[in-house]
Amino acid sequence: MSEEKGIEQHILRIAQIVIDELRLEDVTKETFDPDLDLVDELGIDSMDLATVALVLQDEYGVSIDEDDYPKLKTLRLIAEYIRTRLQEKAA
Amino acid sequence: MQTVSSLLDSAWHERYRRISRLNIRSSIYDVTNRCNLRCKGCFFFSSGEHEAAADEEDIRQWESFIDREKARGVNMAILIGGEPTLFLDRVEAFYRRLPTYCATNGLIRVSRDRFPGMLVGISLWGDEDDEKALRGRDVFSVSRKNYEGDDHTYYLYTITPKQIGRTEKIIRKIADAGLKVHMQLLTNDEQVEGFHWTPEALRDVRAEMDAMLESYPRTVISCRYYHEIICTGMMMGRPFGWNECPSVTETMDDRDPRPKRLIRFIRWAADLKTTHRCCTSATRDCSICKDGAAHMSWVMVNKREHMRTTGDLQNWIEVYEMFAKLYGFIPW
Repeated sequence: MSEEKGIEQHILRIAQIVIDELRLEDVTKETFDPDLDLVDELGIDSMDLATVALVLQDEYGVSIDEDDYPKLKTLRLIAEYIRTRLQEKAA
Repeated sequence: MQTVSSLLDSAWHERYRRISRLNIRSSIYDVTNRCNLRCKGCFFFSSGEHEAAADEEDIRQWESFIDREKARGVNMAILIGGEPTLFLDRVEAFYRRLPTYCATNGLIRVSRDRFPGMLVGISLWGDEDDEKALRGRDVFSVSRKNYEGDDHTYYLYTITPKQIGRTEKIIRKIADAGLKVHMQLLTNDEQVEGFHWTPEALRDVRAEMDAMLESYPRTVISCRYYHEIICTGMMMGRPFGWNECPSVTETMDDRDPRPKRLIRFIRWAADLKTTHRCCTSATRDCSICKDGAAHMSWVMVNKREHMRTTGDLQNWIEVYEMFAKLYGFIPW
């Protein structure tokens, strides 16, 4: 699997988690813009991020430091963050 | 899907951006159990919280405690009591380490040489007659003289039912003194006769709060949505109460399901070990609580619920801005 395809799959899975955990309406994992700013555009706050982070930690087996939340601005950035943490874990 | 830019024009969106990244992490600290007043209706004394734990008297313990709080992620210290200004060394320990807000009755003037930028909130319970009835003396006259013209001070005016129709006299005196004011409502913890809220009184006081904001926009730090929330006790069709309050000490919060709440919020007693349940007293009936900060926070933590319409989101922004001004995160 190419790296790009791997990221796209992560994005779809993360989109579904965000939709489920935050009970978002009128959006699917396929229509969720991976570059949409979650704070500036979707109104997600740090408690929402904490909720999502807990599920991501269980799903991927990586820890997400709360100090890193400001970096997790879009689905793509979250996916890249998780990929990096998985690579660190595997090294 | 509703997005912020689909709801707001560019000017409102800029206001939203300015506050959405503030990431406020406040906690409340009882600086002391002692006070130089004994006010009827003060939850701290009426609930016995002043006897919950003895004051820690070693200033080095305070300093290391505050360092731990900072490491815990707290970026706003809200000092209450008792009367914090009775122990200015403790206040200074906070001020040197964290953005600090100090609640006081204003009888002791905080030196601006020692605390140049510290926000001071002076409690006020009404006009001279109310202050004498509830606090034993006319505290307003003293505090006004102590803080006249101070850029970092505002009155936290707790309006009582007896104040309806009389608030303007107070607001004008505050404006004339070059100070700001924020309004909240008395929660009659001690069941003082004549100080109960009725639905009619709440309706009238809401109209009066709106009128004061309209007439004194440079003096009154508030917004109409906050008035609606605190006077009706309702937000988005939901009643305020224990199941909704965001200002519960995180380590004591066993609610299930857990509502949206202030992250890392703890209210510490003056022994620096004991925690109190919430920002007011555990004996209070939450369904009639009128605490202003708790109601503001209730709105603030429920941001996405306010993303239904443009008006809802603008209301949320105004409440958040009000809170940010009151605690020094953005200028007046």
